Amino acid sequence: MTAAPAIVRAGLRGAELAGALRDLLGADKVLWAREDLLLYEYDGAIDIATPDAVVLPNETADVAKLARFCAEHAVPLVPRGAGTGLSGGAIPVEGGVVISFARMSRILEIDVPNLRAVVQPGLVNLHLSTATAPSGLYFVPDPSSQKACTLGGNVAENSGGPHTLAYGVTTNHVTGLELVLSDGTIVRVGGKALEYDGYDLVGTFVGSEGTLGIVTEITVKLTPLPEDKRTLMAAFPTMDDASNTVSAIIGAGIVPSAIEMMDQLSTQAVEASVGAGYPLDAGGILLVEVDGVRDGLDDLLERIEAICRTSHATQLRVATTALERDKLWAGRKGAFAAMGRLASDYYVQDGVIPRTKLPQVLRHVIEVGERYDLRIANVFHAGDGNLHPLIMFDGSKGPAEVERVKEAGREILEMCIEVGGSITGEHGVGMEKNCYMPLQYSPVDMAVMRRVKDAFDPLGLANPGKVFPTPGKCKEFSLNAAR
Amino acid sequence: MPRAERPGTPEACAELLRACADAGRTVRVRGGGTKSDQGARPETDVVLETGGLDGIVDHVPEDLTVTVRAGTSVAGLRDALASHGQFLPLDPPHVARGATVGGVVAANSNGFGRYRYGSVRDLLLGIRAALPDGTIARAGGRVVKNVAGYDLNKLFVGSFGTLGVVVEATFKILPLPPVSRAASATFGSAAGAFGAADALVRTSLRPTAVVVERSGPGRWRLVVAAAGESAPVERAMTELGRVAASHAGTVEAIADPETALGPLRELLDRSAGGAVLRASLPLATQIAFADAAVAADPGARLVADAASGIVQVHLPDESAARRAADALLASARVLGGSARMERTVNGELDARSVPEPGGAFLMRRLKDAFDPRGILEPARTVAG
Repeated sequence: MTAAPAIVRAGLRGAELAGALRDLLGADKVLWAREDLLLYEYDGAIDIATPDAVVLPNETADVAKLARFCAEHAVPLVPRGAGTGLSGGAIPVEGGVVISFARMSRILEIDVPNLRAVVQPGLVNLHLSTATAPSGLYFVPDPSSQKACTLGGNVAENSGGPHTLAYGVTTNHVTGLELVLSDGTIVRVGGKALEYDGYDLVGTFVGSEGTLGIVTEITVKLTPLPEDKRTLMAAFPTMDDASNTVSAIIGAGIVPSAIEMMDQLSTQAVEASVGAGYPLDAGGILLVEVDGVRDGLDDLLERIEAICRTSHATQLRVATTALERDKLWAGRKGAFAAMGRLASDYYVQDGVIPRTKLPQVLRHVIEVGERYDLRIANVFHAGDGNLHPLIMFDGSKGPAEVERVKEAGREILEMCIEVGGSITGEHGVGMEKNCYMPLQYSPVDMAVMRRVKDAFDPLGLANPGKVFPTPGKCKEFSLNAAR
Repeated sequence: MPRAERPGTPEACAELLRACADAGRTVRVRGGGTKSDQGARPETDVVLETGGLDGIVDHVPEDLTVTVRAGTSVAGLRDALASHGQFLPLDPPHVARGATVGGVVAANSNGFGRYRYGSVRDLLLGIRAALPDGTIARAGGRVVKNVAGYDLNKLFVGSFGTLGVVVEATFKILPLPPVSRAASATFGSAAGAFGAADALVRTSLRPTAVVVERSGPGRWRLVVAAAGESAPVERAMTELGRVAASHAGTVEAIADPETALGPLRELLDRSAGGAVLRASLPLATQIAFADAAVAADPGARLVADAASGIVQVHLPDESAARRAADALLASARVLGGSARMERTVNGELDARSVPEPGGAFLMRRLKDAFDPRGILEPARTVAG
């Protein structure tokens, strides 16, 4: 079964479009056969739609040429990295062209003296840090999908990862971009320095989910690798205990490089799949990492251990070798994949809350799960207050079951907003949460965002149907919770 | 004479902007009035003072966030947070002269701590801004991660009031570090001082200040500060001694970090006459830029946040200031960075020396979208 675009607007489409693109760019850069397009109709989320064609550019000039053509013929442009996104950002909901950056995946420059790298958008996140490690440098944002996800996707979504607590998310590590706007204009903004004249267009673009244009080159900061690190796994009888520990650590003035939390359902799934060595009987576990110069790290670790004990920790284990540390992290980073053992499908939420609200909101998540009779696992960036409830379900039960799951997800997000949080911390809005934007923002707030959209993309062809609520699809949600 | 207006609420501020837009009256936004040297400032019909928008709206110490009205002085906010053992990790200039939170956001005003703690754009979680159409828009939020919708915080940081008036801002804050220390080392060349600075930046020491100063002919001083737990702070001081020695520098202890850093931060206020220029550069090009500054004016005084590539230059020779400034503006550009004047000798600079940044046409479109009548801070930035 092929998923047709959910929204169809006037413009060149189908075989005629594919033929024109082959003439424009050469047949080697265009996919149009149905079996080829199937690969591009889904990403890491749960929505699907089939593109009319897929273009694989070799260079920026190809992208610009494509965009000019699409502008003339009213064809939507949907950029795609590795397709690991968790909000439907790469789904061509209005049809048109998906631009795959698989062939623009090179590191253009590792500039060690200036602590910068210049890369193409299709570069895999982890490959950058691997390439810079011999120079003692790394790229900080480390999404759990970093073995597959691309820098272009990271820029689009403003991705985070476990180690962004102390060092920031993607936007804090990008200093320059080359963009192709939806009319084919090539623009370079920012560069290797920290500031340039005028508005911060780099910061405005990062996290815009492909709706302002297409990024074709990225200049990022490289950071000296920490001299040393300490990684602690702490097990607690309850999630409340684990949550309170997070607040206590931060409250003591300690900002670890990562504080990750997993509930019992998650640790059990992970143990069955990865064997990270997590205790199976704990209500919740924390992974805490501190890094920096060697001096004082052990003292810091001891202070954290003492806080954990005060909060009723039943087990504390410090990784003593790099191998042990990698094993502890492999469990965390493999957690989403491990959920496959518990259910055929899962729907992951990404709400953010003030850290102090963790116990309250986690209890609400459990309550929602019970009420909907859905199993929900929690594995998330506790230090940032960034929740990832994974709602498990069986997709073969049909669309009604998916709708029920989305309803449960919405209840969780409403609670996040009620306590002063956000509907998404790092996965993006995409087409998965665009109907929920009114929970967090007033019509005025969104009208202002729309002005930015129109300034960059007056034609409305840059990843349409994302971020902003679409009238055809979104029911009105109450703003009571938000305001 | 422009009329001074002092709205007491965000709503009154928005209403005032709407009235000005309707009447076509131009508006300058004034917090503490400490950024008056920056950007073109033709006289406007109205000066909107943010002093009436004052005070902390929300501070949850356990969440390490604070929300303040834009007219709040940075000094006042510091005192309020210090009573909870916390601080806003920004150390901008002009605090003693009354710099406000809104001004710091609008001017993207940072200090030496940006390498360690991040700059305004990194620490700002959310804003509310009054717009010329009379609405108040909110961007971001009060949590430390948020990718819902566009990051309009970034657009407003450094926009100098040209898009709207920031009326409220939420920041990440931190607990005050238990230990704070500083030391300096003196070198005979820019290469020595910047070389030693670079060696420290290439470690995981994360100092809170790495500042190079040209204090006189052939005299380059490196000031390094560190804050946090005592062991890593001690280590930073030890490493300074080590790298200074390997770059032929002599180290001197500093009793109070602020006595050394304060005057460096206030180069603009403490330098009389001449021109002052501020450059943002790729890190490794700072030596070449420093040499160019000395070549352009042998009396040049220079203060560089060497960990971030931000270099401020005072050109005291007024007769040569125009030529020297032009040379340095061009030099910054050639080196891959940018520069702007913070003080000029005789008004405007030669337009040739300040080419437009990448995406200037997008900036103008944004300006038009937010302020179609062009009432806010006319001519203050490249966006017009």
